[in-house]
Amino acid sequence: MSGGHRIDLQTNPSAATDSSTHALAGSVGRETHPGMSSLLQLLPYARPYMGQFILVLGLVVIYNATSVLQPYLVKVAIDHDIAVAHPSFHGLLQISFLYIGVVVLGTAANYFQVLTLQFAGQSIIRRIRLDLFHHITAQSMSFFDRNSIGRLVTNVSSDTETVSQFFTNFFLSLIRDGLALVMIVFAMFQLDAAIAAQAMVLLPILFGISLLFRKRLRRAYQTTRSHLSSVIAFLAENLAGVRITQIFHQEVRQAHKFEQLNGSHRQANIHEYQTSVLFNRTFEMLGNMAVAGVVWIGGNAVLHHAIEFGTLYAFISYIRNFFQPINSITQQWNTLQSSMVSADRIGRVLAVVPAVQDAQEPVAFAAEDVRGRVEFEHVSFGYQPDQRVLHDICLQVEPGAFIGLAGPTGAGKSSIMSLLTRFYDPDEGRILLDGVDLRDFAQADLHRLVGMVQQEVYLFSGTVADNIRLFREDISDEQVVAAAEVVGAHRVIERLPQKYQTWLYGKGGNLSMGERQLLSFARIVALNPKVLILDEATANLDSQTEALVTQGLQAVAKNRTTLVIAHRLATLRHADRIYLLHQGRIVEQGTHEELLNLAGHYSELYAKSGVNDPNEKTALGHSAHR
Amino acid sequence: MIRTYCVEAEDDFVSHRGVYLARKLGVEETSDQPAHLLRQFARAHRRSYSLSILSIIASEAITVQFPSLLGRFTDALQAGRLTGQLVVVYSLWLLLVGVAYVVLYGLGQWWNGRMGRVFEYELRKQLFDHWQTLPTAYFRHRSIGDLLNHAMNDVRTVREAMSGGLNMLTNAVFLLVATLVMTFRTISIELTLASIIPLLFLPLFVVYWGPKIRNASRRVQEGLSDMADLTEESLSAIRLIKATANEEVEGGRFGQRVQEIVGRQMSVFRLQALFQSLIPLTGSISFAIALLYGGYLTVTHQILLGSFVAFTLYLTMIITPLQQMGFVFNFFQRGSASLARLTVLFGERADIADPPHPVSVSHLTGTLEIDLPEFVYPNADTPSLRNIHFTVMAGQTVGIVGRTGAGKTTLVNLLPRIFDPPPGAVRIDGYDVHALRLQVLREAIAYVPQDGFLFSTTIAENIGFGKDQANSDEVAQAARHAAFWQEIEDFPAGMETVVGERGVSLSGGQRQRASMARAFVKDAPILILDDSLSAVDMNTEKRIIANIHRLREGKTTLIIAHRLSAVRHADFILVLDEGRLVERGSHEELLHRNGIYATLYRLQESEKGELA
Repeated sequence: MSGGHRIDLQTNPSAATDSSTHALAGSVGRETHPGMSSLLQLLPYARPYMGQFILVLGLVVIYNATSVLQPYLVKVAIDHDIAVAHPSFHGLLQISFLYIGVVVLGTAANYFQVLTLQFAGQSIIRRIRLDLFHHITAQSMSFFDRNSIGRLVTNVSSDTETVSQFFTNFFLSLIRDGLALVMIVFAMFQLDAAIAAQAMVLLPILFGISLLFRKRLRRAYQTTRSHLSSVIAFLAENLAGVRITQIFHQEVRQAHKFEQLNGSHRQANIHEYQTSVLFNRTFEMLGNMAVAGVVWIGGNAVLHHAIEFGTLYAFISYIRNFFQPINSITQQWNTLQSSMVSADRIGRVLAVVPAVQDAQEPVAFAAEDVRGRVEFEHVSFGYQPDQRVLHDICLQVEPGAFIGLAGPTGAGKSSIMSLLTRFYDPDEGRILLDGVDLRDFAQADLHRLVGMVQQEVYLFSGTVADNIRLFREDISDEQVVAAAEVVGAHRVIERLPQKYQTWLYGKGGNLSMGERQLLSFARIVALNPKVLILDEATANLDSQTEALVTQGLQAVAKNRTTLVIAHRLATLRHADRIYLLHQGRIVEQGTHEELLNLAGHYSELYAKSGVNDPNEKTALGHSAHR
Repeated sequence: MIRTYCVEAEDDFVSHRGVYLARKLGVEETSDQPAHLLRQFARAHRRSYSLSILSIIASEAITVQFPSLLGRFTDALQAGRLTGQLVVVYSLWLLLVGVAYVVLYGLGQWWNGRMGRVFEYELRKQLFDHWQTLPTAYFRHRSIGDLLNHAMNDVRTVREAMSGGLNMLTNAVFLLVATLVMTFRTISIELTLASIIPLLFLPLFVVYWGPKIRNASRRVQEGLSDMADLTEESLSAIRLIKATANEEVEGGRFGQRVQEIVGRQMSVFRLQALFQSLIPLTGSISFAIALLYGGYLTVTHQILLGSFVAFTLYLTMIITPLQQMGFVFNFFQRGSASLARLTVLFGERADIADPPHPVSVSHLTGTLEIDLPEFVYPNADTPSLRNIHFTVMAGQTVGIVGRTGAGKTTLVNLLPRIFDPPPGAVRIDGYDVHALRLQVLREAIAYVPQDGFLFSTTIAENIGFGKDQANSDEVAQAARHAAFWQEIEDFPAGMETVVGERGVSLSGGQRQRASMARAFVKDAPILILDDSLSAVDMNTEKRIIANIHRLREGKTTLIIAHRLSAVRHADFILVLDEGRLVERGSHEELLHRNGIYATLYRLQESEKGELA
């Protein structure tokens, strides 16, 4: 049975199927036709398991020898003990026990060889996975701007899985089946060179047919799979949107569409099955023809007393043993190709050097002595070399101050924050924390000093407590509760079914926006940074929750240098200083009142926002359709 | 006759999460029950099935001649009766038998497998049609992943049992019977019985280890998807992880998952290696008995050498069918479990359906009367709505405001019977919604959901979704009214741009405006906006609201909004709180009342600060 298809509901099916055809953007480079070299570069991972591989080789030789020996023993039994003038039952008994001994030895060799090899393979893949994950998380943000997360997940999970096939299945097949083939051929030539030579005609035919079919099978399989992905994607979407279909009364239309996808899948599925039946039967047919051929040639040879009958019998057995190894070697050809592609992708990721690097000798300091003074000195920056998003930014923030950054979307507010956390390095100028250039800190140290609360709250599958302490073992339960109390999250958490041990499903889907936001505040309090960046995010909250969140926010900001990206200017009224950004430059700065008195951009923005005059609304509405 | 020892070759895979509908229903059998469908399908294709089974049986009858031919050839050789001509004859016979078997078996197998796949298609189609009739309440409590598992894996498992299982069963039973008959008749009953004893364990091995290996592999798959989930989670939150210097901790969590996979993989390999070693071992023991006992019989001239040779060949022939017996057992067991789950799915009745005697009305004007004592969701204890009474004249615009969870969405979902109101509680044009045909009812309502749900197809098709033959002008006009036209024009393929996972991903505001346009195309007597401007900026909201006022002249419009600016021009505004209607009146009236609405309004006014 060619059987079913693996359905991966977790990952996006389109990403899984034809990801190899898409080129990776940016530094990871274009996809070319990878060769063996892509696999060779992963070879160092296999080196520690050299001993295991050699052991496997030995076990395979034993296993194969016992397999080849079996028909030979029967031949000996026939020619020496059975089909002779004076048959020997004693000899027969000996041969039978020898036969069983050989079989048991072979079985044991096979068992241990599988386990040894798979263990080595799994260990190799484990190491590659760990290195890959570590390497990816060590990259700077520019790497994540260029590479999609779905793609990287594929690298870590399925590409490594494919490569492991190389270290196990491919390697095993190559030595086991290759050796089996060689030994059978050797045995046949030992028995009778003339007949063996004629049997060799089969080899190229079998390889040829098998390779041809494998190609077609693979294509048929991929076609079916991609049709299946479409069916799954369509189904998933329509189950999610069944309400829309029903309200718009379009059940018939959707059913018709489904029918089309379902129908193409059926077509492809049948075609795939047909190809595999054809392949298997063709192979079987060749096997039967080969036996008939051996009987013909060998029969004549026996007739002319060129060989004994037992030899003919052994030939019939051997010729049938030919097919299995050839079949599986060609199957491994596919494995080899996909492993090369996967190894190539893994290699490309591993080859990327992180853009942001730690200094040779990072500064040493005591965290409690850091006061939290932040300075930007003539900082310019662009995500792309020719597109500046920040121009000559100068800022001074005193320890403990509360600073606001305002400006329209795209003005560069977030970029400033990304530089302060050293997600990127500035192109020009420098950023100082307590007078030390950020580039002189070890990144890990810097990130303990500078914390950030983002607009988007990331939650992990885990308990509420784990989400607050970010799975760190050095933050105790008491610290978690204390942090939650500070920001007012404690009351909310106590109401959850299992309190701090409540499991957060599907990225916190069982919490409201406000509750999630509070958790992220608690998290930052638990981590206790000296400098705090807040991407203020109260836009989506209803008024009650908003009040809650605002309180939490104030609690967090206490005793720290705080920089706030404001979406509502109201938040900044009490800021020590407000910087107004426009197209990557600081255009105005001062307190709320100072800026209003300036009657510039800020006061204009302030006036424009909010609930407007009813007359103005109608006027605008009309103007849009004039 | 190249048969190999195979573990269950189908690489199947039931459920990641493995949580299944545990309940079994005693649903009475109706026409769309899967078991019924199966019987119906088998009946409709009984001729094909008979042919396919006959073809397999014939092939087995032929293939058992193969060892027998070789045996007779050996005897002729031993007796010295063999001539060059006879060698050719025997070879040709062998060739004929070999070819005829392969052709017949291949045909039977192919035909049977083909029909299984056709059935798979039919079943999936039925399932989709069935799902489309089920009410939204049904989908609220089920994960889409689980439903997909049913549609993909359960359906496939049924097919496998039906085509693969049938192939194997026919093959195994007849090959076994034919082989036994041949050996009993032509060789020796004692020899057969003695040698076959170890082989009888084969089906037991398969039945015992098959499910074990399956479960172990499923645990590997679960481990793998766990790891992939964690990777995705970590990389999505990479900013957070970096900003908190948490790389090491995440690496540790990842390492645990990886280690877990290694452990699970190894237990699969241990089971597999054992299973795969035992089967050839059993075969070989049986062969050794044949060698010893058969050899003894030959030596003592109780059987001929040819019979001995033939017998050894027969022995290898029945190893596969005996294994297949085990596979068939596993197939059928899984297949019937899947069938039972599908039966439960098909047993879900669409409780929101056309009335038996609908009122004959084809067009509604849009007068609404709501007299709702209370509304309780199916499977809920407390009512979500209580004591709601109001009337909307055709052509009026009504605003509905209130906090998240106040019941606004629930209320408007009662109109198109997305959730079923109590009888008589919701009337349109004086008719109870239960008395109307669903088609008539739903054609009268256009709805814009909050999430701006779109299908992964072109923008044009999405906007024209509600109308069977929407032309491009209508679509474009609707897009303009929804203030979406400008952006569509900026897309590379314009109206033909595909949205969703495989195309352009739209922002929340864009999706809301696209679904707004979709509702405009439908141009129904009743329009419902379910907080559908929440992600649209203020100026655009104003334009859209103005367009609605203009376009909906004389038609009923219900607007749920969080921002009060969207409802202040409504004919009247309803304020909901905790499922009750607490205030109603025009914007000015409500401000004078100084209640919830006025508080909300002042709060939003004081926050003049939002950037456009």
